[in-house]
Amino acid sequence: MASSTPKKASKKADSEEYSPKKSQEKKKVVKKDEKPAGKDIRGFGFQQPASSSSKTANGTGKKPITIDDSDEEEGTVGKKPVPKGTTSKHFLSASSSKKPITIDSSDSDSPVPPPSSKKKAPTPKSKAMPSASNSSKRKVLVDSEEEDEEVDDVKPAKKRQSVGGGLSRSGGKKPSYVDESESDSDSEEEEKPNKGASKAKSKAKKEKSVSPMNVDDESESDEDNFIDDDDDDMPKKGKSKAKPKAAPKKATPAKKPAPAAKAAKKEIDEEQEVKEEVKKPAPNNNWRAAAAARAAGPKNPGSKEIPEAEPDCLAGLTFVFTGEMESLGRDEAVELVKRYSGKVTTAPSGKTSFVVVGENAGAAKLAKIKEKRIPTLSEDQFFEFIRGRKGGQLDEKQLKAKAAEEKKIEQQALEMEKREKEEEKERKRKEKALQGTGIAAKKIAPPSSQLWTTKYAPTNLKEICGNKTVVERLGIWLQDWQKNYKSGFKKPGKDGTGIYRAILISGPPGIGKTTSAHLMAKEAGYNPIELNASDARSKKLVENATNIDNTSLDGFFQGGGIQSTSVADVRVDSRTCLIMDEVDGMSAGDRGGVGALNTLIKKTRIPMILICNDRSSTKMKPLMSTTFNMTFRRPSPAEIRSRIMSILYKEKLKIPANVVDELVKGTNSDIRQVLNMLSTFKLSKDQMDFDEGKELIKINEKNTIMTPFTITDKLTGPYAFSKTSKETLSDRMELYFHDFSFVPLFIQEHYLKTQPALTNTLNGGEQNLKHLELVSKAADSISDGDLIDRMIHGSEQHWSLLPFHAVQSTVKPSSLIYGPGRQTGGGGFGSWGPSFPQWLGQNSKQGKLQRQLTDIQIRMRLRVSGGRTEIREQYMPLLANKVIMPLVKRGSDAVDETIEYMDEYYLGKDDWDALVELGVDTMSESLISKKIPTATKSAFTRQYNKADHPIAFHKGDMFAASKKKIADQGPAPDNEDVFEEDEPVPDEPSDKGEADGDGDGDDEVNDVSKDKLIKAVKPKGAAAKGKAKGKK
Amino acid sequence: MSLWVDKYRPRSLDELHYHPELSSRLRSLSASGDFPHILFYGPSGAGKKTRIMATLRELYGPGVEKLRIDQRVFVTPSNRKLDVNVVQSNYHIELTPSDVGMYDRVVIQDILKEIAQTQQVDLNAKQRFKVVIINEADALTRDAQAALRRTMEKYMNNMRLILCANSTSKIIAPIRSRCLLVRVAAPTDDEMTKVLQHVAKKERFALPTSATKSILATSQGNLRKALLVFEAMKMQKPDLTGDLEVAKPDWETYCSKIADSILQEQSAQKLLDVRGKIYELLSHCIPPTVVLKTISERIVDKVDDALKPQIIHWAAYYELRMRMGSKKIFHLEAFIAKVMTIYKQFNMIGYTDDYE
Repeated sequence: MASSTPKKASKKADSEEYSPKKSQEKKKVVKKDEKPAGKDIRGFGFQQPASSSSKTANGTGKKPITIDDSDEEEGTVGKKPVPKGTTSKHFLSASSSKKPITIDSSDSDSPVPPPSSKKKAPTPKSKAMPSASNSSKRKVLVDSEEEDEEVDDVKPAKKRQSVGGGLSRSGGKKPSYVDESESDSDSEEEEKPNKGASKAKSKAKKEKSVSPMNVDDESESDEDNFIDDDDDDMPKKGKSKAKPKAAPKKATPAKKPAPAAKAAKKEIDEEQEVKEEVKKPAPNNNWRAAAAARAAGPKNPGSKEIPEAEPDCLAGLTFVFTGEMESLGRDEAVELVKRYSGKVTTAPSGKTSFVVVGENAGAAKLAKIKEKRIPTLSEDQFFEFIRGRKGGQLDEKQLKAKAAEEKKIEQQALEMEKREKEEEKERKRKEKALQGTGIAAKKIAPPSSQLWTTKYAPTNLKEICGNKTVVERLGIWLQDWQKNYKSGFKKPGKDGTGIYRAILISGPPGIGKTTSAHLMAKEAGYNPIELNASDARSKKLVENATNIDNTSLDGFFQGGGIQSTSVADVRVDSRTCLIMDEVDGMSAGDRGGVGALNTLIKKTRIPMILICNDRSSTKMKPLMSTTFNMTFRRPSPAEIRSRIMSILYKEKLKIPANVVDELVKGTNSDIRQVLNMLSTFKLSKDQMDFDEGKELIKINEKNTIMTPFTITDKLTGPYAFSKTSKETLSDRMELYFHDFSFVPLFIQEHYLKTQPALTNTLNGGEQNLKHLELVSKAADSISDGDLIDRMIHGSEQHWSLLPFHAVQSTVKPSSLIYGPGRQTGGGGFGSWGPSFPQWLGQNSKQGKLQRQLTDIQIRMRLRVSGGRTEIREQYMPLLANKVIMPLVKRGSDAVDETIEYMDEYYLGKDDWDALVELGVDTMSESLISKKIPTATKSAFTRQYNKADHPIAFHKGDMFAASKKKIADQGPAPDNEDVFEEDEPVPDEPSDKGEADGDGDGDDEVNDVSKDKLIKAVKPKGAAAKGKAKGKK
Repeated sequence: MSLWVDKYRPRSLDELHYHPELSSRLRSLSASGDFPHILFYGPSGAGKKTRIMATLRELYGPGVEKLRIDQRVFVTPSNRKLDVNVVQSNYHIELTPSDVGMYDRVVIQDILKEIAQTQQVDLNAKQRFKVVIINEADALTRDAQAALRRTMEKYMNNMRLILCANSTSKIIAPIRSRCLLVRVAAPTDDEMTKVLQHVAKKERFALPTSATKSILATSQGNLRKALLVFEAMKMQKPDLTGDLEVAKPDWETYCSKIADSILQEQSAQKLLDVRGKIYELLSHCIPPTVVLKTISERIVDKVDDALKPQIIHWAAYYELRMRMGSKKIFHLEAFIAKVMTIYKQFNMIGYTDDYE
C-alpha cells in the first residue's frame, strides 16, 4: 500500500470520477493483504461483489445491521433500526476499524512519504491523545464522505457497510470511542511489531488483550501501520502542507475495503473473547480517556459542520447522550436529534438505539451501556450517521403504527367536520325558525368565525387530551353525587370521593381544567353554572347569590327554597352544578370570599367544582379539608399530538409531527396556546418546518421566572462553563437577573459545595490545592461583588452597576467552581444540590440577638459606661460568671445571689435568657441550658417572679400592651382616680408598677414625675419601688 | 454588688487616676463659660465616657448623675418604626444613633433638632446650654454626619455636642474642624497598675505583682478589660497566687479554635465548616472585625515566619473590604480561603507567590 501512495496522490488531482475506481483498487489491495493473514474470509467475499454484498448479508440470515455502516460512511444503506443486542454494538467496532482505513487511503494519496510518517507516528501517539488523533481522523472522514457520497460511490459503499455490519454483529464488543483512546497505548506497542504485517501476531495479542478496543486498534495497526501514522500526519502535517482537501476526498473510497477486512478480523477475535472483553475494567479506561482529552487541547465548539439530512430520518430511534462532545453542546445535540424526529432520553435503557459518547462520560453510564450492549457512537460517527440516513426509514411495525395514527387523525378530522356541519345546519335551522317570529335571535357565530379553541373544544370524554383517569373520576363523582347527597356524604365510595361535596381541581393553565369540568358536568346531566374571576365573589355575594340553602327573604319571595335562587341568570335547581373557576384569583376585592365559599361547600345541595392554578397557596388552605383534591397534570406531547394533528389536517395546515411535539413542549403542554399560535400562523402560511416552529415558540415564549435553585444548578452544573457550552456571558447574566437579590446569595452558599470541573485534570494534593485556589478566587470575586452591592444599595444607589454585580457576584464565581456537586456531609436536607442561603437566617438571627444585646446594654447603661460591643466582648464573660455559672454549679442555692446581681444591673428575666443565648462555644446556649437542671430553672423563675425588681425604664411596646389591656378591661378600673382624669388613661389601670413605665412613656409631657420615679428606683431594691407604685 | 469596674468608677475630674493635664484642661474649660463642642477619641477602655461624665459633673454639678432612660419611637420616611434608647438627665442627653444602623440620620435630625431648638428649662442650671453626647460617633453614616454640621453651628446657643469615638478617621473634616479634639490615650502600664492597686486596696486585699503582670498582658491598655479580668481572676483564685491562667472569653477561645482548624486542614470542606462557625460568632454579636483580627493573630502566632507578613497583609486587605462592603461574612470567607491557599501552597511547594 505504501508504494501505491504516490500514484494515488497524482490521481487525486483528477476529477472525482476516479474515486470509485480507486476505491475498488484499494479494496482489492486490502483484500490481498488480509487474506494471507487468515482473517475472516466472509467479510471479503461480501465486499467484493458490489451489488451482491448487501443481499448476502441479509440472505445469510443475519439481521440487517445497515445502520452501523451508515453512520460511518454514506449512511444511505439500511434504515432499519438496529436490532438490539450484540449485533448493533458491533457496528461500532466496525466503524472504528473503518476510520483508520480511510485515513489510509488518504495518506496513500498524500504526498507524505510513508516511511517518514511511520517514524513519526509512534511518537505523537505515545505522547498522547489518542483522542486527538481519532478526532482528526474523523474529521477527514467527514469531509471526504460528504463529497464522495454524492458522486458515484454510493452503491459500493452501501454494500460494504452492510457487510461490515453483518460481520461485526457476532462479536460482543463494546466499542466506545473512549475505549479506543484508552487502548491506544497498547496499540502503540503493538504497532511496531505489526509493521511487518504479521497478523498472526496481532491476533495473538488480541486474544490476550482484554479490551475490545484494543482489538480494534490492533487490527487497524496491522492493516495499516502507516495509516495510523498518517492520521497523525493528516492533521498535523498533511493539512498544513495545504493538501488537505484532496486527500480526504479520495480517502473515502479507499477506506471501504479496509473496514470490512478489519471487521472480519475482529469478528473472529471477538467471538473468542467476547466475555473477556466485557470484563475489562471501565474506570481505568475512563481516566485515561480523560487524560487524553486534556492533552488534546482546547475543543472547538462549532468546529464541525452540523449535518443536514432528510427529514424524519431518525424517526423511531432513541438516543442517549453522555459526556462532553467536541463541537456540539448537549442542547444542540438534542435539538439535532429532534429535528429529525428522533427521540432523546437521559439514561440508557434497553430501548435505546444508540448512545453518543463524549469525553468524560460517566462511568456508571458506560457500565450500563456495556451491560445492555447498546451501540455507541462518537460525535463524528453520530454526524455521519445522520448524514447518511434517509428519511422515513421505519420498520414495518413503526410504519404500521404511523399509518394507523394517520388514519386516526383523518378520522378525527372527518368527525370534526361532520359535527361542524351538523352544528351549522342546526344553527341555520334555528335562525330560520326564529326569523319569522320576530324574536331577536341570539346569533350563534358560525364555526368558521370561531376561535380554534372554541371550535375544537372537546365535546366528549374521548377528545380530552391527557388526564384521562382524573377526568373519569370527576365524572363518576358527579354521577354519584345525588346518591351521596342522600346518604349524607358518609360513604367514601371506591375512590374516596364519596364524602366530598366539592372537588378542587388544580393544575397549570391551558390544559383543559375548565373544559373538562364543563364537559363532565354536562355529561353527568348537570347544568353547569360558571363563576369566574370576572364575577365579584366577595363573602356577601357568595353568600347571597349562591344562596342555595336559602333562608333569606330575598330568596324566599322569589319562590322559596332551592329552586328560587339564580346565579348568573341561571336558575339553580338540583340538576345544577356550580363551577367556581379561578378560585385562587379571589383576591383583595373578594374579601372573605374563600371563607364564604368554604361554608357554602359544607352545606351545598348541588355539586361544586372549584378550579385553581396553585393549590398550595395559602388562600386555598381552608378548602383543603372540605374538598377532594384533584390535580391535573400537563399532558405529554404524545397525548396532545394526535388531537392537534387532526385539527391541523382539518385546517389544511401541514406541520410534521416532530414540529408539533416541539410546539407542545415549547409551550409547556399548554394546548390553548398551541392552538392560538397555530391559528395565527395559519393566516400567513400553510406549512411549517422545524425552524419555523422553533421561531414561533421563541416568539410566544412565556417568560418564566426560574427559581434560584434551578438557576444555581444551571450556573454551577458539571458542564456549565465547559468549552462546548454555548451560553454567552449575557445569557448567564440573564440568569442572575431572574432574581438578582437571591441568586448571588445562592451562589455564595453553593460555591464551596462543588468539585470544580477545572480540577479534573489533577489529582491528589495538587487537585486539592487547585480547588483551594479556585475557591479563593471565587471568594474574592464574591467579595468584590459585595463591594459593588454596597454601591448599589448603599447611599449612592448606583443601580447601573447591576450588570457588573451580576458578573462579580454570580457569573465569575460559578465559572471558576462549576462542577458536579459534592456530598457535603451531614446528609439529609440540602446535602445535594444548592441549598437555601444560610445568610438570610443568620442575618436575622444576628439582628435579633443584636436587639437583645442593645436591650441589655441600655438597661446596664445606668451602671456601665460601655457600649454594645464592650458589653458583649468584655462584660459578658464576667457577667456570665456572676449570673449564669452559679446556677450551673450550685443550682437553686445560687438563685438569690444571681437575682441580686441582675437587679443591680437592672436586668430582667428576659435579659438573663438573652445573656444565655448570646454565649458561644463553651457558653453556648445549648450547652448551658442543658447544664442547668430544670428544677433550678423553675426555682429561678419562681423566685424572680415573686419579688419586684428595679427597672431601668419601660419599653415602648410595654406601654402599648398595657393600653390594650385597658381597653379589654373596659369600665372596670374606675373611680378613685378621678383627679387624674386629665392624664392619659394608660397610667391608671396598669396599676402594678407599669404605672411607672407609663409615666416614662409620655415623658415629654410631664418630665418631673418621671424624674421622681427614677429616683425612687435608684435607691435600690424592690421595696422602695413597690412603695412608689403603691402610692400611685 | 456591682462589678468593680462600675463600683470604683471615678465620678469627678479630681478622682481620675491618670492624664492629669487633660483633667485640668477639662476643668478650666468647664469653668470658662465658653464650653466648645468636643470630640473625645481614644481606644476602648481608656476612660472616655468616664471623663465625659466627670466633665459634665464639673459643668452642672451632681444633678447630671440622675440618669433616666427613655425609649423613643421614630418613623422613617419608609414608614418603619425605630426604637431609639435615649439616656438623659436634666442637663444632658445621650444618644447612640448607630443603634439604628442606616437610619441614624433620622435620629440625628429629629432628636437633635428638637433638643437644640429648646432652651435650657431649668433656670437654676449652671449653664445656659444643654449637652448632647453622641456615642460611637465614628459609626455614624456620612449622611448623619452631614446632618450634624449645620446644627452644630446654628444652635450653638442652646446646645453643645460631645462626640465620643474610637478614631477620628471616620469623622468628616467639617465636623472635626468644629470640635475641640480631645484624645484620651490608653493608660500606660504604670497607670493601670496604680488603678488596680487602688481597687485592691479598696477591696482590702493585696495584689501580687505577678497577677498585675498577667492582667496587664491580657488587657492591653484597656482598663475596663483589666478590671473585669481582675475581678474574674479574683473570683477564680481568691489568693491570686501561683499560675494565673486568665480565663479567656468564650468568643476568643472560639476564634482560636477556628484558627487552629484552619491550620489543621485546608480544603473547601473545611472552609464550609469554618463558615458555619463564623456565622455563629457573627450572629452572636461578635463584630466581624474582631473575629478577623483574633483569628489572624492566632494564625500568625502559629505559622512559619515567611508567611506572617502575608497573612497580616491579607487580613488588612479584607478588613478594609469588610468595612466597605455590607455582607461581612463574604469578606471573612475570602480571607480564610486566601489564608488556606497560601498556607497549603507553602506546605506543598515551600513558597508562595507574593501578594497579588
